[in-house]
Amino acid sequence: MKLFLDASVLNDMLKPLSKDRWKFETAAHLLNRAGFGGPPAQIQTLAGLDHDHAISFLIDYEKIPDPTLNPDWAKPDPDRMKQVREMNQHGTPEGKKQFQRAQQQILQREMIELRGWWLQRMARGPRPFQEKMVLFWHGHFATSVDKVRDAYYMWRQNELFRRLATGNWQGLLLEAGKDPAMLIWLDQAQSRQQHPNENYARENMELFALGEGHYTEKDVTEGARALTGWSLDRITQKYIYRPRIHDDGEKTFLGRTGNLDGDDVIAQIVAQPQAAKFITAKIWNFFSGQRPDEKLNDALAAVLRANGNNFKPFLRVMFRSEEFYTNDIVRNEVKSPVQWLVGSVRMLECDLPPTIVSWGMLRQLGQDLFAPPNVKGWDGGLTWITTNTLLTRYNDAETLVAGTLPELTPADFARKPGGAGGEKAMKVLERVRMGGVNLEKILSPDERDNKDTLVAALQHRLLQTTLKGDQENALQEFLDSKEKLTDADIRTTIRLIMSTPEYQVA
Amino acid sequence: MKNEITLQTRREFLRTTILGSALTWTVPAFLANTFAALHADAADSATQIATGKDATILVVLQMAGGNDGLNTVVPYANDFYHKARPKIGLHADKILKLNDDLGLHGALTGFKNLYDSGNLAVVQGVGYPNPNRSHFRSTEIWQTASDSDKIEKYGWLGRYFDSACSGADPTVGVTIGNQLPEAFFAKKPIGVCFNNPQNYRFVSGAHPKPGETDLTEESYKKMNELNELENSSPLPDDNSGGSIGSLAAGMPMQGGKAVDFITRTALDAQMSSDEVRKIAARVKNQAVYPNSQLGGSLKLVAKLIGGGLPTRIYYVSQGGYDTHTNQINSQQRLFQDLGDSTKSFVDDLKAQGNMQRVLVMTFSEFGRRVSENANGGTDHGAAAPIFIVGNKVKAGLLGKYPSLAPQDLFEGDIKYNVDFRNVYAGVLENWLKTKSAPILGKQFEPLQMV
Repeated sequence: MKLFLDASVLNDMLKPLSKDRWKFETAAHLLNRAGFGGPPAQIQTLAGLDHDHAISFLIDYEKIPDPTLNPDWAKPDPDRMKQVREMNQHGTPEGKKQFQRAQQQILQREMIELRGWWLQRMARGPRPFQEKMVLFWHGHFATSVDKVRDAYYMWRQNELFRRLATGNWQGLLLEAGKDPAMLIWLDQAQSRQQHPNENYARENMELFALGEGHYTEKDVTEGARALTGWSLDRITQKYIYRPRIHDDGEKTFLGRTGNLDGDDVIAQIVAQPQAAKFITAKIWNFFSGQRPDEKLNDALAAVLRANGNNFKPFLRVMFRSEEFYTNDIVRNEVKSPVQWLVGSVRMLECDLPPTIVSWGMLRQLGQDLFAPPNVKGWDGGLTWITTNTLLTRYNDAETLVAGTLPELTPADFARKPGGAGGEKAMKVLERVRMGGVNLEKILSPDERDNKDTLVAALQHRLLQTTLKGDQENALQEFLDSKEKLTDADIRTTIRLIMSTPEYQVA
Repeated sequence: MKNEITLQTRREFLRTTILGSALTWTVPAFLANTFAALHADAADSATQIATGKDATILVVLQMAGGNDGLNTVVPYANDFYHKARPKIGLHADKILKLNDDLGLHGALTGFKNLYDSGNLAVVQGVGYPNPNRSHFRSTEIWQTASDSDKIEKYGWLGRYFDSACSGADPTVGVTIGNQLPEAFFAKKPIGVCFNNPQNYRFVSGAHPKPGETDLTEESYKKMNELNELENSSPLPDDNSGGSIGSLAAGMPMQGGKAVDFITRTALDAQMSSDEVRKIAARVKNQAVYPNSQLGGSLKLVAKLIGGGLPTRIYYVSQGGYDTHTNQINSQQRLFQDLGDSTKSFVDDLKAQGNMQRVLVMTFSEFGRRVSENANGGTDHGAAAPIFIVGNKVKAGLLGKYPSLAPQDLFEGDIKYNVDFRNVYAGVLENWLKTKSAPILGKQFEPLQMV
């Protein structure tokens, strides 16, 4: 496998980080970005390896067994699908209504289960980097259950992202395009030769593979014609090619002419140099928190192409590069709500709150998994932070640390903003009991006893750096007002550190 | 460098707050020292601006999803209309007649009421050249007031804050919701968001006895203060760097520290939360609102106006207008809510005596196709009407209803008659009393609506 190109092609960029810079802080940075962070001991272990091995430990996860079991409903269900069809065709209005209501309840239950299933994999699973990539692809191919309306399809797409997390660009585009969730989400399943639906053809180029300005309106209509025939068998719940609805006339798409089909469309897109540029910019942006400049983007794209459009070797180069560890990148990315929640759980070595609570938190914070706001995905970056979401983060810190319930209302669980349907979730919430942080697990007896060592240990664990002088003084003042430190005081101290601007970045 | 710019911004804010008396609430004790330190060098440059306590106020109401204008202001007597919409076209018995050609959708009883009392203007056929039919792109165009082939970093209201409200306090713009709308994106982030005032606070978890200080809350405040303020040297206002605007495309800042941005937001949150909650608890609504998200939002806005928050721009939204299927039922529900909520809001403000200071403007990212589709719905289109509500509006129909004759359509869509930026210019110049060209990038003729 060819990892590196000539230095001249790379313009002297993406050189490996020098050995002396690989230490606790840089290891913490790698674990934050190529995972969801972790406790000091884990960071120390990484820092103790050499840089390449540390990267390999995270990204060559295939060797690590992952014993996660799939939800029992996560399989095709032709009998139910036949029932749906029967009801749609012959049901009475009243019967249809009842049936739909029942289906809706099943969907709600399964989606909560699915969210919990994925969050657990992120928070406790043995392959954090794989899950981080799944999160990236989910935001990239942003597909929402609000339109797909089927938990099995959402699970299946999530599994596809997991299977191809660090795979081949063309292979991923092709499989993601033919996956049922996408076929429904962007209407490709309904596209016919007589009336090609342009939704997927357009968004695939605009948002998934090339970016605006790198194709023409003509490419959209011609691409849509070529893509006809990609369809969904709603009984077997699998992709099916239907030659009868395919337009087999001649098309010209991105400069190539012939009786093109959907596979040709994908191949032709990936053949554009822009395809590698587009996706490497987006991956760099996701992991580094900064948009690459033109020179860096060219170098990144060159690495991906030189490696046959395979992401794994590209990611290896990215994570070992000097550029990934500069000052404007380290500890300068706003944590996404998922990173905030999962990272906190990993750093505090505590349990993820019950799914109903975690889900409510993520919705309030603006990142409802499996329901991105639109096909563009989450805007991310600074847009995660508003006065509202910041105070919510500060208050959610109390929930995590002390194990108290957050202030959620039925509206926080409504299917659509302003809609109804949240009351049931509130009933579930009433029965929830939470644990909070186990102090003995994360702090030594001395650290729990001595105010100075306590503050130092907590900063080390939660920030991997120190607070500003005045902030630390404020914390000391708080502790000094207590004669003897109780567990509640220590929990408040943790919560206060989490209630700072500094804790919102990694 | 970035850090100092941040502080300069904050400095301006504090200056106006303490010295310009734009803000009447008690400042938190922990800031008193900071104020004292700033007092000396700020005294000579204190500025006074108009605030929402006594000046005019704009409420922007977003109808998200692309509202079908043709079934909103209905050309019920038009043959082309009924020909294009055999299933979902509305006839004379289903509408609220405005004249012999046009009527409001039957569920817009609230709007009809406002129309009859001279409080509602309908601007017909609003759009822009080369319409974009993508939800997010078109929303972005409306929010940033850009040409359809140009990307603007900042929102049109953000540019209003930047150009007309420099040094204003953070609540100059208030969004009811969780996410800041792109219209608010500004060089200097101003504007706060919240949905439930009761939860818009730091919940300390401590239970101090009456009279005792809540140490947890005190510590939180100190840890979210701008500590280096006293040491900063003033810098000329620099427009470069990591404002939220450069994030518009979901890509992050170029340069600048994320922590600085969050620190500013934290201070904005802290400064506004007590006041917002106090007003929400103190002011009583004097009208009954529908039990909906929009109703709740407007109810809250009415309280905040009544309570004298210095806000000039409020932003509320109502979603669900993307009616590709089964449009009849969805619009019925949405419009009943829209009209009733707005009517309650007007009644409330009239009872308060504040209605003459308030203007409500609706917008939606696009209208919909003239022809209905096969699923009892309509697909993404172009121009649509805007509603403007106020005591001083030029009530009635403004502009011209777009022609539905097939030869007058462009790609199946009606053509716009009024550029939405003419409406914005009218709002800026005639209502907010500020020059519109610096904000909109060029001079659009202001639509005379008040």
